[in-house]
Amino acid sequence: MSANAREWILSRLKAAPGRGQSFPQRPPLPPLSALGSERAVLVDTFRQKLEGVKGEFHPVEDRQALCAKLEELFKANGVRRVVAAADSVLATLDLARWAAGIGVELRTPADFTDPASFKDALFREADAGLTGADFLMASTGTLVLAHDRGQARLISLAPILHIAVAPADRVVADYEPVVAALYESSGSMPSQATFITGPSSTADIQATPFTGMHGPRRLIVIVVTR
Amino acid sequence: MEIKTDRFRETVQKELVNPETQKFLSFFPLVLSAMRSATLAGLPDSEAALASAAAIRAEAVERLPELLEEFERNATAAGARVVWARDSEEANRYICDLAREKKVACVTKGKSMVTEEMGLREELEKAGIEVWETDLGEFITQLLGLPPFHIIGPAINVPVETIRDVFLEKAGLEEPTNDPVQLGYAARIFLREKFYRAEMGVTGVNIAVASTGTVINVENEGNIRHCKSGPRIQVSVLSLEKIVPTMRDAFHMLRVLCMCATGQSLGTYASFDTGPRRPGELDGPEELHIVLLDNGRSAAYRNPKTRDALKCIRCAACLSVCPVYGKIGGYPYGWAYSGPMGQVVNPLLLGLDRTEDLYGACTLCQRCKAACPAGIDHPRMLLYYRSRQAEGDSELKGSGAPWSGKALHRFYSAAVRNPALWKAMAKGLRWAANRYEKDGKISRAPGPAEGWFRARDLPRFPDRTFHDRWKEIEKTLERGEKP
Amino acid sequence: MKKVSLFIPCIVDLLLPEIGEATVLLLSRLGLRPVYHEDQTCCGQFSFNTGFRREAARMAVHFLEVFGEDEVVVCPSGSCVNMVRNRYPELLEDEPRWLDRARNLAPRVYELTEFLVGVLKVEDVGAAFSGKVAYHESCSLLNGLGVSEQPKKLLRAVRGAELVPMRDADVCCGFGGEFSSRYPEISEALVAAKAARFLESGADVLVLCEPGCLTNINGYLSRHHPDRKALHMAEFLARNLAS
Repeated sequence: MSANAREWILSRLKAAPGRGQSFPQRPPLPPLSALGSERAVLVDTFRQKLEGVKGEFHPVEDRQALCAKLEELFKANGVRRVVAAADSVLATLDLARWAAGIGVELRTPADFTDPASFKDALFREADAGLTGADFLMASTGTLVLAHDRGQARLISLAPILHIAVAPADRVVADYEPVVAALYESSGSMPSQATFITGPSSTADIQATPFTGMHGPRRLIVIVVTR
Repeated sequence: MEIKTDRFRETVQKELVNPETQKFLSFFPLVLSAMRSATLAGLPDSEAALASAAAIRAEAVERLPELLEEFERNATAAGARVVWARDSEEANRYICDLAREKKVACVTKGKSMVTEEMGLREELEKAGIEVWETDLGEFITQLLGLPPFHIIGPAINVPVETIRDVFLEKAGLEEPTNDPVQLGYAARIFLREKFYRAEMGVTGVNIAVASTGTVINVENEGNIRHCKSGPRIQVSVLSLEKIVPTMRDAFHMLRVLCMCATGQSLGTYASFDTGPRRPGELDGPEELHIVLLDNGRSAAYRNPKTRDALKCIRCAACLSVCPVYGKIGGYPYGWAYSGPMGQVVNPLLLGLDRTEDLYGACTLCQRCKAACPAGIDHPRMLLYYRSRQAEGDSELKGSGAPWSGKALHRFYSAAVRNPALWKAMAKGLRWAANRYEKDGKISRAPGPAEGWFRARDLPRFPDRTFHDRWKEIEKTLERGEKP
Repeated sequence: MKKVSLFIPCIVDLLLPEIGEATVLLLSRLGLRPVYHEDQTCCGQFSFNTGFRREAARMAVHFLEVFGEDEVVVCPSGSCVNMVRNRYPELLEDEPRWLDRARNLAPRVYELTEFLVGVLKVEDVGAAFSGKVAYHESCSLLNGLGVSEQPKKLLRAVRGAELVPMRDADVCCGFGGEFSSRYPEISEALVAAKAARFLESGADVLVLCEPGCLTNINGYLSRHHPDRKALHMAEFLARNLAS
């Protein structure tokens, strides 16, 4: 059925009159921002844009400060159970052990054998989702998450609180290097890439805005400067 | 979705005096428009950005079949199943059969105008499957059985009391409240359980990328991401014109879409899917089915005069600047698409004969064309529909103008080309109109223009036309006097 | 003296000839010799806009026959000029001979203010008016022809006149030709809003360049605010010329 439909549709489109006439060469896509490449400026722009969409920004100097910050955030928000991604940054931190030391249960995708129990943990148990970020786009204050087993989708979606951790060297001005890395390089493309700009939001009832519609109510981004 | 395009006039009359509608129309489109302008002004070169967007859409439409083939190749290589559907019936059948085969009991749907066009929800429900709209606005319209008020805010005009009552009845709201935020949280809890349970998530597609086989969705709430993360099966319905050549084109288009729709530089969540989950991944769909829907689009494509309708990216910038939409809101347009883009698209998909008021109710002010990032000339298309309807057109289902209309314009055309007949017509018109004159003006006159007189007067027709006066005027000019 | 061919819209000929007279006065005061081809009648806009292209094409051919040889054609209506410039090419696309003539003529057809400011390079026509003036931007003129600064320059140059801002000056007044009687409730909502904006602006008079808009707005004012009036630009300037 689909094969017939395919032939029918394509033949109709291809036979349409007035096609294939001279087509003006498209000029290159203009940049959508003018931010330069100085990291300090980019990080600060990222912060401004993130805060502009109700995200929260915390710079920390190093791994020690990062753990201190996480502890502070967990305590302040009553977080007892966390699911954390195992991306290239977080995986090096041995977070499960550290968390246990402060009375927080922290699990990573490696602790799950099947999607059903993973879904249960994210929907019903986790107080917070902790992820990395593959890129921080300064022009729009956007986190880029290229999902794979370690950087699972639901971690940044189901819990009411999303905390993302990324080193400052992942900040870029705009989308071009992100597209190049994820879609134009020789490696395989991610099954899903998500661009996150602020917490989940809506204004669908009487134009009254609020956050935490279906995704996190709060988005916290910790940038490690060293 | 039920087609009510033939109830335009009666719905207009209701909406013009509906206080909730008028309240929202008095600010919502203006705010969206202002935010669009402000965000575009923040670009290094907004004109170039918009010109690029129009060029991308022009190329996409020009190369449509080749891009679709490229998309199919790449999406399939990434593990997606690409299915083609000639019309809504074929598409619905595929999705219903799939749901039955996979023993799907519950479906969650992301905001998708194309699935409204298809009436997919109703078909799934007929097959005994539970279907939930998950975008807050669409969830509310689903529960209330209402059409969408505006593309961006489908239920934005609905009073909180109405939402409260239906949530108490059907959405598990426990304590009555008029607080929009509390109502929203109640919807979150209710729908979260559906996201958890659903075996199938259905979405539309904002942009598809030919060079990678990727489908892209943008949203603020997170419901579409849920539809693409929890369930085993994901069905993404791709309206076949929503495709661009490369990933860079796609990201540029995505930014322009967001800026023109809500003034956001980028929506809260943009999710890019290239095939289903990979082996070992703990979430995401095991199967990704991409349904390419024609449903009248290849017909629109085959006519070079209607092809441009396929450039539309559904940003709704045109709604926010249209003076007519600004007085009547979304309901009168009677189908999935409203505002100027609905006036362009609905007649092509439904036929000119049942949508006459849609392309008729336009003052041709051209604001839509000026605001459109995709380069569509809406007024030109509406004028084309009017001519195909007046003439009769079997492809477009134009029924032809009544004899009286043809006669009037033939007579007028004859008078235009014959000065003596023009003069006679002027006399006749003056006589016919001035019969109703009182105190130098005409306040009522039955006939084809009687609608005018409900709130307006006309001056009496002067005894001498400009033609009649010219000889005198010319003489005074020759004499060097002041005319 | 330079000749200028007058293109007098059908609505001016039949209903508002004083706009034509004012246009003649203005142009002659500026040293031009207005010429009027008496076999002109209508550009065909009404038939074209309602879908009767065959009839409209015949009217377009007639128009081209009347005006085809003129060096400069001036018209006190943006919608008519829009029709000739922007719609005739599509209307005549199946008749290459006439299409050529239309393309040829188009750059020589001007809306009045476009002509005064853009071609004659005149902003001060010698008019004086003590009072506040608001300006309504007709859709065809603004969006079809891109004419917006020219009328305002003319108004600002009127001695003693204060051009005051008017909210939503560039929003449609709801005329749209047949639209106004075919969809009267929507049209009324729009013209009522336009009238309200005029009254809010504090202006003594509302000036505009489009006979259709004028008929629509004055029609509403006559019924609801009979002490207020809108004036065509040609009339406003001509009436206020210093002797």
